[in-house]
Amino acid sequence: QEEQNNPPPSFDFKSYMLQKANSINQALEAAIPIQEPAKIHESMRYSLLAGGKRVRPALCLAACELVGGNDSMAMPAACAVEMIHTMSLIHDDLPCMDNDDLRRGKPTNHIVFGEDVAVLAGDALLAFAFEHIAVSTLNVSSARIVRAVGELAKAIGAEGLVAGQVVDINSEGSSEVDLEKLEFIHIHKTAKLLEGAVVLGAILGGGTDEEVEKLRKYARGIGLLFQVVDDILDVTKSSQELGKTAGKDLVADKVTYPKLLGIEKSREFAEKLNKEAQEQLAGFDPEKAAPLIALANYIAYRQN
Amino acid sequence: MSVSGNSKSTQFDLKTYWMTLISEINQKLDQAIPIQYPEEIYEAMRYSVLAKRTKRAPPVMCIAACELFGGNRLAAFPTACALEMVHAASLIHDDLPCMDDAPSRRGQPSNHAVYGVDKAILAGDALFPLGFRHIVSNTPSDLVPEPRLLRVIAEIARAVGSTGMAAGQFLDLEGSLNSAEFVQEKKYGEMGECSAVCGGLLAGAEDDEIQRLRRYGRAVGVLYKVIDDVLEAKSMSKEDEENEKKKAKSYVSLYGVEKAVEVAEELRTKAKKELDGFEKYGESVQPLYNFVDYAADRGFSVLELN
Repeated sequence: QEEQNNPPPSFDFKSYMLQKANSINQALEAAIPIQEPAKIHESMRYSLLAGGKRVRPALCLAACELVGGNDSMAMPAACAVEMIHTMSLIHDDLPCMDNDDLRRGKPTNHIVFGEDVAVLAGDALLAFAFEHIAVSTLNVSSARIVRAVGELAKAIGAEGLVAGQVVDINSEGSSEVDLEKLEFIHIHKTAKLLEGAVVLGAILGGGTDEEVEKLRKYARGIGLLFQVVDDILDVTKSSQELGKTAGKDLVADKVTYPKLLGIEKSREFAEKLNKEAQEQLAGFDPEKAAPLIALANYIAYRQN
Repeated sequence: MSVSGNSKSTQFDLKTYWMTLISEINQKLDQAIPIQYPEEIYEAMRYSVLAKRTKRAPPVMCIAACELFGGNRLAAFPTACALEMVHAASLIHDDLPCMDDAPSRRGQPSNHAVYGVDKAILAGDALFPLGFRHIVSNTPSDLVPEPRLLRVIAEIARAVGSTGMAAGQFLDLEGSLNSAEFVQEKKYGEMGECSAVCGGLLAGAEDDEIQRLRRYGRAVGVLYKVIDDVLEAKSMSKEDEENEKKKAKSYVSLYGVEKAVEVAEELRTKAKKELDGFEKYGESVQPLYNFVDYAADRGFSVLELN
């Protein structure tokens, strides 16, 4: 793989992510203790603490740092974004939706706790995400926290995440999905929450409006990139390499970028998205921008 | 002189107060959910939020609590609407086949019966954040400082969350008889509590006043439900009664009508006692005061107002 936009060699992405994932996992663990009724809280924790790469919260923390903030300002928001992501997976996996039995190699939430508890645990994670930001964010003005709440709500509602899910459900088995519709689904289903993660970090870290908007563009780019790469990996990798069923999109007859554009053109599109996203970081201190550059490259060049 | 020892409710007309607020709230809710692409999800959200025969009790209580402390009702409308949105979201999910499996709600088919289970789940998932967004985007910043807004958001999230209404719904589904009273408190008291508390928070009430509103709102919420159950039991045939016993565990099915009426009277007294602490605000306590009697006596039909 060619990686033209390498961050400074001094930056060690692997240990950066390891360290961030560690502190994020600790914060998530502490945010939702077991309390009565125990089963709901166990169900929430089961999916929330099931591992996962913590890309979204890491993006949130990195954006906060880039504009001069520190982790304590953005950690509750970073956790909130992961709670929302988890909640959308729990509901997505339900029998009436995608009907998945396995997620990250473990039985899905409703398989373990039952459908009723899975719905409630999802709802509770959604609500708690907002409570957590409102109550636990430290060293940030209330005005900025309120702005962050509004951004998150917009990213995940009927103009964001849910819109993507609805159009995705309606497009299943339909041969009329064109590039525009495919992009709508991915932008809403995937990119909006990534955008939310980055924008929340930038707002809470004290970024100027101009900085927030640049980072928003960066996040939109890598959000779509994330999905394009996912589509490519589904065709080019084995199940073993992916850690999940490969060729799932083909079997499900899902419209994907490789299907509409071909593999080569899809790869070119991914390159373009990555390049444009990183251009948004040009005006920032290169050393501080290193994590976001590395995260973009990670999303572009990951092998699973 | 205590308010509860005095029947000065004559000069205040709750019916008119409520009616005026309902039409304003309905109008604001209608504007808050414009239909756009993908239309179906907005239609599903509107179907439940704008359902006919909704009494808008949580918004009215929120606005009345805000006005008690001299707050401007314009400060409370966005939160009042948000309460209806998150409440509708909870009800949509409660009605799902994997939960209460309720085919209808407020005399119309439940959301999933019209839009399908998948869309009903998503409509709920979209209404929760819309509520929060509605508050932060529409509350006039000159009337409510941001720290208060954050407390309102936390309060609503807590009320619908894993120790609030979701806990009530879970314990209800589990069906343990020991928890029946707890279930009633959580499922029906929580919304009343949250509505009253939010109104107080928006108006900048003191912490001890918020605590009073908390106990008041909870008592009224449960009272309302107990009376609903009593009225339903009285209008039911024997056969209906048997069917009813098999599903919900209400005060009536647990203790019988007589004891339920006693519980209701205790709740009425309790709620009014809390209001005694607001004596210094004079007549602006009347809406909250009359609300208690309405919950207990149903002196008029709110459905007529709609």
